[in-house]
Amino acid sequence: MNRLWKQFKQGLIYENPLLMLMIGLCSALAVTTSVSNAIGMGLAMTFVLLCSEVMISAFRKTIPESIRMPIFIIVIAAFTTIIDYTMQAYFPALSKSMGVFIPLIVVNCIIMGRVEAFAYKQKPLICVADALGMGLGYTWVLVGIAAIRELLGNGTLAGIQVMPDSFQPILFFTLSPGGFLVFALFISLNLWLKGRMQKSAAAKAEAKNQEVAA
Amino acid sequence: MMKIFIIALLINNVVLMRYIALCSYIGMTGEVGQSVGMGFAVTFVTVIATAATWPLYHFVLVPLGLEFLKILVFILVIASLVQLVEYYLKKNVPGLYAAMGIYLPLITTNCAILAVTFENISNNYSFLTSIVYSVGVSAGYLLAMILLAGVRVRIKNSTVPKFLAGTPILFVSTSLIAIAFMGFSGLIK
Amino acid sequence: MTKQYAKLGFILAAFSLVACVGLSFVYAATKDRIANQASVQLQASLKELFPEADAFKDVTADLGGSFKGATLDAAYLVERSGAPMGMAVKASGNSYGGPATLLVGVGIDRRIAGVRVLDSKDTPGLGYNAMNPSYFVDKATKKTFPGQFTGKALTDGFAVKQDVAAIAAATITSKALTGIIKASGDAAQAYLEHTSSVGGN
Repeated sequence: MNRLWKQFKQGLIYENPLLMLMIGLCSALAVTTSVSNAIGMGLAMTFVLLCSEVMISAFRKTIPESIRMPIFIIVIAAFTTIIDYTMQAYFPALSKSMGVFIPLIVVNCIIMGRVEAFAYKQKPLICVADALGMGLGYTWVLVGIAAIRELLGNGTLAGIQVMPDSFQPILFFTLSPGGFLVFALFISLNLWLKGRMQKSAAAKAEAKNQEVAA
Repeated sequence: MMKIFIIALLINNVVLMRYIALCSYIGMTGEVGQSVGMGFAVTFVTVIATAATWPLYHFVLVPLGLEFLKILVFILVIASLVQLVEYYLKKNVPGLYAAMGIYLPLITTNCAILAVTFENISNNYSFLTSIVYSVGVSAGYLLAMILLAGVRVRIKNSTVPKFLAGTPILFVSTSLIAIAFMGFSGLIK
Repeated sequence: MTKQYAKLGFILAAFSLVACVGLSFVYAATKDRIANQASVQLQASLKELFPEADAFKDVTADLGGSFKGATLDAAYLVERSGAPMGMAVKASGNSYGGPATLLVGVGIDRRIAGVRVLDSKDTPGLGYNAMNPSYFVDKATKKTFPGQFTGKALTDGFAVKQDVAAIAAATITSKALTGIIKASGDAAQAYLEHTSSVGGN
């Protein structure tokens, strides 16, 4: 159980796909103009990642190494199609506003990367923890960026007016340059946090060494 | 049709305005030569992929009622195309093959190529319009790549504020390039 | 050696088959619901534009002439108790990120009864706001982009930023949609005049 929780935290924070590993950027910034789009995208991607990882992990013994890439593609594409049609049927407005980005989940570097590096070699149960960690790590960063962009660029959060009427929306944040800028600041903040975590971990190790030496 | 081309190339640029294909944009713009090679490779694959997937969808999938296999079929077509390009380069242009290294198979996961093939369908473009659109989008990709590669050369020789060092400064630069591109929207009446 | 390839091919085929079969189930389960949405949206929009109407006659075949800037997908003669009240035209045209589809209603008084944006491929947060019911081009009067056309006479000016308020930072979309609305309005007016001159009911 502890192992599962640790794996989950890896994806959520320490190896966050967007901020730390810098993969999966493609579909990330485009959906962050509104919080509802970001949540929809994050959950859709988590669904595909979870199902793909579990399925490939469950069948990892029967997938020959030489044809593993086409098979990964088939599995991921199948689950992407499932989520695409499900969203079209039950969340049509959300699906329309996300447009081509739902089908693009199939080439999301995170899913391909995780399946190749992790699911192909691990048991299904830990893959669940990994998929949920990575997927939710992706989602929270998306929602964070979207919250800033929607709040400052539109005065709303998920369509609900939050800022007072006198607030003049700063359109820059809804436009693409604003998205890049907000993302740059997020990465910068994250690198700083990472630096601090590493410093404190190094300091702890130092203290431990000195204890042992003493 | 000219309008669709100009919009795809400059006004609604696939990388700078629509945030598509960012992985390779950040990863492959270390040198100008590398980005040009990648841009041309993507252009080639995109146009061929359009030429292959459009008829495949309209003359095979739709008449058989198999539209739901679109995502599966398109990505497999692109993956096979990239394999073919790899074999061809390995045999006939080994210098380029060696230079591109591991980035060649990465073209398969390039969001822009798949996005173009999907949009040709969802926007109901005719075959000719699809080809024009795919050329426009990939030319826009090439343009964005070259621009950022050029900027990165200058960043190497400048002092960057500490909190922006590394990837953040690349995104800030991209943001500035995007602002410049927004000026192109006056091109369309 | 060939046995090796045969085994690989078999595994590949097996995975593909399972994927295709699974997808066909999902498709069958969602297909009707998805197809319904378009017609439900159209019917609901028609009702919104002409709340007192009781019949919408499909007259797409009778619509003659081509109008620059828009493709006319469908046309409906709106009637109440057998008498024509106006026309609703479903038209599509190229916008910023792809084709946009609108429903334009024109009354027999040659004024626009209303506009609904049925589909847009523009950027969410910018051009896509044409479809957003809580996005106002005029915050004081709480008018949405399509809402500002209600009651506008077809002989009025349709210049964006002068007679028509644009969506902020989405001028190309605003111009494209206005062009489609004008073309559809003109087409509807031409048809209404034709039927009334012919002495139609």
